[in-house]
Amino acid sequence: MSEKPRPELVIDGFPGKRRPRWVELATSADHKDLGRILICGSLGFLFIALIELLLMRLQLAIPENTFLSPVGFNRMLSLYGTDAIFLFAIPLALGLFYYVAPLQIGARGTALPRVGQIGVMLWAAGATVLYAGFLFTPSEAGINPLAPLSELAFLSNNGVDAWATTTGLCTLGFVFIAIDLLTTLRNLRAPGMAWRRVPVFSWAATVCCWLLLVIGPVLLAALTMLMIDRNYDGIFFADGSGGAPLLWQHLSWIFFSGAYMLILIFAFGAIAEIVAAFSGRPLVNRGVVMGSLAAIAVLGTLAWMQNMLTAPIGIGWMYFAMLMSLALIVPFGLVVYNLIATMSRGVLRMRAPLLFALGAVSSISIGLAAEIDHSMVAAAWELKNTTDSTAATHFALVGGAVFGGFAALYFWFPKMTGRTMGEDLARISFWTMALGILLAFVPLFLAGGEKGEVIDAYKFFGGTGVSGYNLTASIGTLILAAGIVMTLVNAISSRVNGPEAGHDPWAGESLEWFTLSPPEPHNFDVLPDVRSAQPMRDIREAIAHRTASTPAPARESQPVA
Amino acid sequence: MLQIGFVAAAIVVVAINVALILAVRRNRAHRGDAPREGGSDRRGQFRVGATLTAFAAAIFVLSVIFTDQARKTPASGDAGLAAAKTAPLTIKATGQQWLWRYDYPNGAFSYYKLVVPADTAVKLELLSTDVVHTWNVPDLSGKRDAVPGKTNKVVFLADEEGEYTGQSATLSGQAYGAMRTAVEVVSPQAYEAFAKQQKADIDSAQDRVVGLIENGEVP
Repeated sequence: MSEKPRPELVIDGFPGKRRPRWVELATSADHKDLGRILICGSLGFLFIALIELLLMRLQLAIPENTFLSPVGFNRMLSLYGTDAIFLFAIPLALGLFYYVAPLQIGARGTALPRVGQIGVMLWAAGATVLYAGFLFTPSEAGINPLAPLSELAFLSNNGVDAWATTTGLCTLGFVFIAIDLLTTLRNLRAPGMAWRRVPVFSWAATVCCWLLLVIGPVLLAALTMLMIDRNYDGIFFADGSGGAPLLWQHLSWIFFSGAYMLILIFAFGAIAEIVAAFSGRPLVNRGVVMGSLAAIAVLGTLAWMQNMLTAPIGIGWMYFAMLMSLALIVPFGLVVYNLIATMSRGVLRMRAPLLFALGAVSSISIGLAAEIDHSMVAAAWELKNTTDSTAATHFALVGGAVFGGFAALYFWFPKMTGRTMGEDLARISFWTMALGILLAFVPLFLAGGEKGEVIDAYKFFGGTGVSGYNLTASIGTLILAAGIVMTLVNAISSRVNGPEAGHDPWAGESLEWFTLSPPEPHNFDVLPDVRSAQPMRDIREAIAHRTASTPAPARESQPVA
Repeated sequence: MLQIGFVAAAIVVVAINVALILAVRRNRAHRGDAPREGGSDRRGQFRVGATLTAFAAAIFVLSVIFTDQARKTPASGDAGLAAAKTAPLTIKATGQQWLWRYDYPNGAFSYYKLVVPADTAVKLELLSTDVVHTWNVPDLSGKRDAVPGKTNKVVFLADEEGEYTGQSATLSGQAYGAMRTAVEVVSPQAYEAFAKQQKADIDSAQDRVVGLIENGEVP
């Protein structure tokens, strides 16, 4: 029977004016687009942070170097710290959460997309202010500009104002993103996905968002006070006339301690997913791991005074800070124990994501072990504010944000682009980074712990026994940077040239592997009922069962719909 | 204290990394391997949790004991300054951008270099006139912050005569990296002579300035 030509009701006219791709991306409120902006942006800022770190290490390569002026060094230091924390580490974590978590819980989008979009725009605005500040005068007050150095009386140019604007805009943006993600995670989970079945990475996202809602406003309050002090004759942090310089330390360290924990919780969330996927078995004691991640957020933030053990605070508060920091041994230990238990009952496929994940665990273990020393009050009096603390922080946070972040990037890159990142370059990059981080920061442990070299100084003196350590650290930093750049290059080139990945290249456990790579704007056509914590494993088993029992049914749609 | 901390840290690093390496070496995939079953083990978790708690508690208790010892004011020895037999010799240390000023009990003061008697308990009252500074002479004692508006203290006892150096340890602006200090430990007699001489020098210099102003030679 021949069909009659159907009268066209819809004419081919009215072609929608197609906007350029970057306009689409910049105006999109889709969580995948926003996540991509955050991830790409933060990796770009990682590159800039590396250059800043290298310039500082170049200055510190030989004693009494005059490559950078004292002011130049302080500016570089302030830029580096702000860039590394506010423009790289936190946004990379949030970007990956933003991209992956809604997919993992089977949501078709986020709950409050415009709120999240405003958050990303505020972050971009903050980043612009920081590097627009570079054109006039960047802050000279250090990574955490302690009052009263940050007051107008001591730094009268507008560098600190630019710093406060940057961090304020970024933090406000993070809080907005956290609100959107948290609402999504609470309300838009797939049918059957109770909290106990939420993937560990999404659980980490939940914990981090709650954490940001607590610590973000604290820093915003502190920054507001600082701006009032500087611009409207305030006295919040000025000594005398009722102000208190220590108030700044309390407020800012609450934020920075929380942010430190946020980066580690993000890293362990990603590592847990990766270890489970590449061991070919579910995570051992999921519930314990999830509870531990929540405990880390609470205890770690309560330990903020661990950073103030040399300040004039009561000895009781010092013991409180020490108790909270040492209590962290238990949740961190349980997480690591269960990761290793999962691996030792699994069959390991040593691919790039697992390699980076294990590197992250190793590096974080060195950093946190050193933090134990920095929490013991009498030892902290010796070690605080030496390069020993620089090394401890960098082992923990480079381990978390760079190794952990790269592990997550290698793991979810196929989902984002449909292509896998190059495996050989990944291995070279990993071992270069591993060598680099050891060469860069172990000497700083020795220089600080043994010789007492102080932190943040624009020069060190010859004849104090630290010249060799510093030179090694500078060379190590260069190697670390080379390794990091290899992964960045790998990511850029694999976007177009990488091998096609398919929708589930790693045999993952959670729902993001159920959809296409890259996912459609609406994420899922259909969703399975979630009956366990490993919905994709259930689906694969159902398919295997069905193909074994019945002769392949001709079925076009996706299984277990 | 540092040794205990170092041992604890070393235990953690070695335990985690050895476990990681063993887990990787034993469980690399071979053809036909299937992952072992067996999921959660609550009792094992309690054991691990209890061990970790005991480890953390042990470090906490040891730290409190050692910290309390470190906080005690040491008793001056027999060879120490006679005037500081009962109470420690109290000296005011004022941090300012980018120099330390020391005020001695008899009204003398010195910049950059602190002179103290050997075998005598010395209490430094840390003050700041501008931003936060950290007094840091690692060979004599731990470091403490001088915060404007607050008084912090450091107590130490130097057994041996000699010169010790230190560098301020909190970023305090441009010349922070060059903000050093020195502590010269001398015999009690030499200390008393120094304090007296310093006081006399300062007084005569001030008298001279006052005289110049009165004579109208300086506006």
